[in-house]
Amino acid sequence: MPLIRKGGDAPAPTGGDEPAGKLRSTSPDERWAAARALSGRPEALASLTAALATEQDPRVREALLTGLARIGTPQGAAAIVPLIRSDDASLRTGAIDALRVMPAAALAGPLDSLLSDPETDVRILACDLARALPAPQATRLLCGLLAREPEANVCAAAADVLAECGEPDALPALAACAERFVQVPFLVFALRVAGDRIRAQTPVQDG
Amino acid sequence: MADAQPVTEEELRRLSEFLYRRTGMIFTETKRYYVQRRITDRMEATGATSFASYFARLRSDAAGEVEQFINAFTVNETYFYREDHQLRCLTQDLLAERVERRPRDRAIRIWSVPCSTGEEPYSIALWLLENWAQVDAYDIEIVGSDIDTRALKAASEGVFGKRALMRLSPELIGRYFEELGDEQWRILDDIRGSVRFTAANLVETAETRPHGQFDVIFCRNVLIYFDDASRRVAAENLYENLAPGGFICLGHTESMSRISPLFEVRRFDDAIVYQRPRAAHG
Repeated sequence: MPLIRKGGDAPAPTGGDEPAGKLRSTSPDERWAAARALSGRPEALASLTAALATEQDPRVREALLTGLARIGTPQGAAAIVPLIRSDDASLRTGAIDALRVMPAAALAGPLDSLLSDPETDVRILACDLARALPAPQATRLLCGLLAREPEANVCAAAADVLAECGEPDALPALAACAERFVQVPFLVFALRVAGDRIRAQTPVQDG
Repeated sequence: MADAQPVTEEELRRLSEFLYRRTGMIFTETKRYYVQRRITDRMEATGATSFASYFARLRSDAAGEVEQFINAFTVNETYFYREDHQLRCLTQDLLAERVERRPRDRAIRIWSVPCSTGEEPYSIALWLLENWAQVDAYDIEIVGSDIDTRALKAASEGVFGKRALMRLSPELIGRYFEELGDEQWRILDDIRGSVRFTAANLVETAETRPHGQFDVIFCRNVLIYFDDASRRVAAENLYENLAPGGFICLGHTESMSRISPLFEVRRFDDAIVYQRPRAAHG
């Protein structure tokens, strides 16, 4: 029988707890191990944030982003938010993915600011992030955006999310936005579809 | 009493979108019957009187409905040679890469996590003995791990019912199992002795790390049950537990690409698997 009989020792463990100083090591393996050891620890917020600002290895970045996301506080989210303006697409995507897994309580504050960001692209990404919030909270934030947003593409992104998770409270905001952008047929269509879907999913009284 | 009205095309689309976002599972109009049955079951279980009220409950995850819903769409029972296309891939492609330029005295390590009551790690052992020509040339260590210690105890005992063996031929059963009567069979001691069972929680690094690095990990149908943050931690743990160039096989409805960018996708004739890059990128 060629299979090994049980009872043998597993190979020595790899990695281990590393101090915050190892985040500045020249070895990506050491930086990875350090990021993982500090993952989710509130006291490591500053170290993880500083490391993320300079880290070039995508694997270590991923561990740093997970580490900050697991801290699960508005401060952790605030450390990640600036990265969604990065010119590096993988870093931008990584930041969005990390924010998406954060608790709603941590995400809501930074998201409110992002929905008012001067950059159109950031506001579009923020609309997508709202999907991660509970439906009432997402509805409130996105309806606020629909009332003030000057860019049709941003409104369309909000309509797309509301079509999936919008509450009936969103119907007046969708209608008002459609009136404001009556000259933009694609947006009027998207807003109408969102409204129709919300109406179709509005529960009748359960018996 | 549930409303047994068939779901509309629009309702099916919304439900499918929801399921896809949560699990990566895709159900189209061709699976309408399958989906309809499960929705009806869940509506009955929750007392929802319409699809709309059920969907509202699902979206708010009232009383943990999301987990119940996903459970209804997945097959939780396990049996020998389940998803055997991945086992074919193991012996036809994955191991060939893993033993390339490997000294004969270095053992091949395979991890089944979660292993439930042992069907998967024992299947790997049987499959290798039956289907891998080089099985005598290498030491092969198979480890099965699970968070459920009751399942691990059952796995160590190695006694299985008729249903667990349904995919095995009578010849295979005769070769590797001892009939106990009452439609129960015990896997031979030699095979039982070749699989080491351990307790491990995939999201606890302190529990996964001591297992060391593996050539191939089978991690099927568990990541879909984790929340997004836990999935990221599990992916990083699995990355650490893979040797550079090692492979991970997920369930057929799961996609690592939706969880983490740490792995590369490899497409083989029989399966799509994920690989830890040989050299760290960056």
